[in-house]
Amino acid sequence: MLPILQIGPLAIQTPGLILLLGLWFGLTLAEKLAQIDRRVDPNAIYNLALTALVAGVLGARLFYAARYPDIFLKDPVSLISPNTAMLDAFGGLVTGVLAALIYGQRRKLPLWPVLDALTPALSVLLITVGLAHFASGDAFGIPARLPWSIRLWGEYRHPTQLYETLLAAGIAVLVWPRRHAEQPAGLRFLTFVALGAFARIVVESFRADSTLIFGSLRSAQVIAWGLLAFSMQLIASRLKQQPTAQIPEDKSP
Amino acid sequence: MPLSSRNFKWVQIAMLVFAAAWIAGTAWLATPGEGGRSPSPRAGFPAPAFTLTNLEGDPINLSDYQGKVVLLNFWAAWCPPCKAEMPAFEALQQAYQGDDLVILAVNTTYQDDLSAAQAFVDENNLSFPVLLDMDGKVSNAYQILAMPSTFFIDRDGIIQQVIIGGPMSETLIQTQVRKLLAEVP
Repeated sequence: MLPILQIGPLAIQTPGLILLLGLWFGLTLAEKLAQIDRRVDPNAIYNLALTALVAGVLGARLFYAARYPDIFLKDPVSLISPNTAMLDAFGGLVTGVLAALIYGQRRKLPLWPVLDALTPALSVLLITVGLAHFASGDAFGIPARLPWSIRLWGEYRHPTQLYETLLAAGIAVLVWPRRHAEQPAGLRFLTFVALGAFARIVVESFRADSTLIFGSLRSAQVIAWGLLAFSMQLIASRLKQQPTAQIPEDKSP
Repeated sequence: MPLSSRNFKWVQIAMLVFAAAWIAGTAWLATPGEGGRSPSPRAGFPAPAFTLTNLEGDPINLSDYQGKVVLLNFWAAWCPPCKAEMPAFEALQQAYQGDDLVILAVNTTYQDDLSAAQAFVDENNLSFPVLLDMDGKVSNAYQILAMPSTFFIDRDGIIQQVIIGGPMSETLIQTQVRKLLAEVP
């Protein structure tokens, strides 16, 4: 666990740094892979992700400020404060997805091939979420004395952060684009979603910070099961489709 | 992967049934309950208890403030961002007088100059309790890695937010405090 990297007077939040690096690395890879795969414009992928990200951060701050308008009106400069404690996750998600949809519509991007092209970036991001949790000590496990237990927050616990990192790495290998692989559009992304939901169901069982519903059911597992069922139903319908054709190679010098 | 839609039907059924059985099984076998939440210096955990003396030499217990919102700050006189956020705390103390808000500023005396700390408190007319951590035990219990570090503790004694580094803006401090004060005791 290393939540803070102290470099001189600078206190760097390690989890945030890991996520940023993951995002940058994932997007760079996705752009490169899109160049090889030639089903969507690599620039469009990068711009789409960037648009969603910027809109997401802006939305997260505005939704937070909207809860305390009087405080922010007195000090409007706080709207651009880099502090991550003043963000609203739900607001960020909504505006990020909306911005991506609008950008995709305006650029007439094909939905499924774009989601497929983004899947490598999402897989890398999922791995770094696990590593960020490990650095911060979040998403911690239930107490257990096992040879591989880690001591965290005063107890020996299941290293749930490592479980999720390993499963995410496995998912990344399974959904990684392969040369000459012909499959219906959307299959790569939907497989990622289904496997991600399945991994969450497994890892959540060992987590100590779950929210419970109906007595002892973990709400994250119930939501993940719904997502698993939905994505598998979509896979079933996509399997009946033809693979997307590649964009012809640019022959001009 | 060569997967026909007919084969997939069976994969689909098997995975959904297995996942549902796993959810039900683990809910029945391992109810998370408290999940071993012994006092720890992180969000979601009970704040570690302590007793420290203030500048006047009177003992102050964190547990004295059960039922109130506590802003617990760790600072030192040699740390410029720590000093920079103190006026914001004082403004907060004045603005929320009469509300259930307590500001406790723990001076990390074991690695600070007590006379410099005292002089800073006097110069700025700080009216909230300044506590002295002479042996570093409380700073250790709160795993202070960087200064300033601030813990926002709710009425039940549970840490709800940890801010490491500073100075925090008045807006950040006020929104966090307002959120905790709004929670019904």
